[in-house]
Amino acid sequence: MTMFGWLGRSATRGILTTRYPDAPPSPAEAPVSAHAPEPPPGVAIAASAVNACPVRAIAPDGVDQCRCIRCARCLAQGFEFSGPVALATAARADRPDGPSATRGAGAPLARLGRSLHVFLVDVGSCNACNLEVLSIAHPQYDASRLGIFFTNSPRHADVLLVVGVPTEAMVEPLRRAYEAIPAPKAVVATGACAIRGGVFEGNAGLRSGVDEIVPVDLYVPGCPPPPVAVLDALLRLIGRERTEAPT
Amino acid sequence: MTRSGWEVETGDDPPVEDGKRALAYRADDGALALYNDYERFRSIVRTPKAPGAGGVRPAPVPGAHALAEAAEVAGYGTFTFPYGPISAGVPEAGKFEVRTYGERVLGLVPVGGFKSRSVPASVVGLPVADAGLRVERIAGNLSASHVSAFLAAVESAEGRPVPTAELYVRALAQELQRLYNHVRQIARVAEAAAQNVGLAQMHALGEEILRLQGSVFGHRWMFGALLPGGPTRRVEPADRDRIEHALGRIEAEFGALWSLLLESRTFVDRLQSTAPLSKESAISSGAVGPTLRASGVGWDDRLRAPTPPYTDLFVSLPNETAGDALARILVRGAEIQASLVILEQLFDRWPAEESITEAPESPLGPGRGIARVEAPNGDLVYDVTVADGRIRRLQFRSPSTANWPAFALSMQDAVFTDFHFAFESFGLVFAETDG
Ligand code: SF4
Ligand code: SF4
Repeated sequence: MTMFGWLGRSATRGILTTRYPDAPPSPAEAPVSAHAPEPPPGVAIAASAVNACPVRAIAPDGVDQCRCIRCARCLAQGFEFSGPVALATAARADRPDGPSATRGAGAPLARLGRSLHVFLVDVGSCNACNLEVLSIAHPQYDASRLGIFFTNSPRHADVLLVVGVPTEAMVEPLRRAYEAIPAPKAVVATGACAIRGGVFEGNAGLRSGVDEIVPVDLYVPGCPPPPVAVLDALLRLIGRERTEAPT
Repeated sequence: MTRSGWEVETGDDPPVEDGKRALAYRADDGALALYNDYERFRSIVRTPKAPGAGGVRPAPVPGAHALAEAAEVAGYGTFTFPYGPISAGVPEAGKFEVRTYGERVLGLVPVGGFKSRSVPASVVGLPVADAGLRVERIAGNLSASHVSAFLAAVESAEGRPVPTAELYVRALAQELQRLYNHVRQIARVAEAAAQNVGLAQMHALGEEILRLQGSVFGHRWMFGALLPGGPTRRVEPADRDRIEHALGRIEAEFGALWSLLLESRTFVDRLQSTAPLSKESAISSGAVGPTLRASGVGWDDRLRAPTPPYTDLFVSLPNETAGDALARILVRGAEIQASLVILEQLFDRWPAEESITEAPESPLGPGRGIARVEAPNGDLVYDVTVADGRIRRLQFRSPSTANWPAFALSMQDAVFTDFHFAFESFGLVFAETDG
């Protein structure tokens, strides 16, 4: 036994489950990089900041959350991770009239009622997104209390949750998984890679985002998105997401 | 020799002799020198080649080719069924070709390439820090090991001294990630073996480690934290106190869960003699890490080929001899405790700000460096060529790449119902195999 010593905690102690979505995510649930980077207030975004971003997420008129990989390079340019926990959006900033916008994100599933069955598909991830998504089932998040379950078969699924940047080899398997899910169904592109390639954007043999292959309802920014952001996306599909009280 | 996407090098490299000498370890086991030499690294390493328009064609992982042929055994009623690339049991994109005549597995060939993002080819020409952003995303759950090996190779190539505290931060990150991976692996095996005792708590413990990493490094997977030119997420004394406190809790919880798990006869029985790997097969197949140590070979880079700060630390070497799924899990459990001892030593010896460590001289001459670290799932090797602060060439051999043949061997003659916990007991990651 080491010096850290036993603190007499029992392995069966109660585990604190997040109060999200009833309360905002705590700092433990959302470390700094879970928040959206924001430029220094009141001044125009400098060209040096635009150039500092390795994935061209910074433009003179703002930060594209869907592209940002949370590398924190822009902190040296006066940016801060001071925005809200980056939550799901229904449209890609660079593709506002993409398939999801015309399809009416979230709407079809709201009618499903209370529970959601999620089929997770990896099309070329680094594994961190997979693990963040799976962790919503762990005690600290306990997605089942919100009626959210993973399923092993696309035929029993309502939601196709995709992680990773699509490789050519995964294009067909992804399409087939999508088709196997009965309607109404929704697709959630989770993580910068799934949205438009993330740090791998432009590498040979990769597609630039899941929505090139199947229509996407929601994009969850982050690299990887924290579990609360994944929860938020799924809750959005059934109209139960956290809404901030108006201030 | 090219075989759809994978290329085995034919040797346009600088003199191998030097590299060989530098990497020939003082092995206590004659076979080890053979297993772990430079030629072996060269024989299965991926060369950085960008794929054509059609992308990478999935193919049996290197080393699995002979197995593929062996799996072609014909006979009345034998058939091959593909498992993957999207499958319920493996939460990653990868495939297995299973040759069977019903229940018994005659041969199993892991097929990789579905997740290839061509990282080694894509970093050519990039500054070290930008390449690092991609390297840490080769396998997110092993990011600290990949980045540490990558940076050490670059430093050795450039002959650049490093602040000692930076090496300590890297070791801290690696050991935390080892805790996380081992805890998760144990939970996954328990889950696959339908073992519910303490399962939720084991997963909860994994989440606690991620949260600790998030609070110390600002990112739950420590992306960016170890890279030069990124944010300076230094580990201040106050942070270290906080980490020590959290580790005390983690140690207590893990200890209690671990004994609960091992008291469960059903769990132990299920894993015992499942997917066995003999010492001879482990060595000849080139297995590394906990897989190798569970088969009775005491090899750990932190002990046998240490780099600072491991040169100054006491590292224990948990060892099992049975080579089955249970042995691999027992090794991981013991390594969690060993890592806690290492972390404690790191904090005791934390260096002063101004302390500097010289980079090891590159055995391959200036401009090209080789480094290896003991990742949670085994020996990880990076070979990087740098010029003017930019990557000229990068190749690596991941522990998963090394361990696939061992996994395939252990599944020969197994029953398919063993697949999931056999698989989880090896800690294999397609993401780092494919690159
Ligand atoms: S955190 Fe990194 S990726 Fe995101 S905006 Fe800042 S520099 Fe760009
Ligand atoms: S978005 Fe980031 S964390 Fe997710 S798969 Fe891509 S690189 Fe990994």
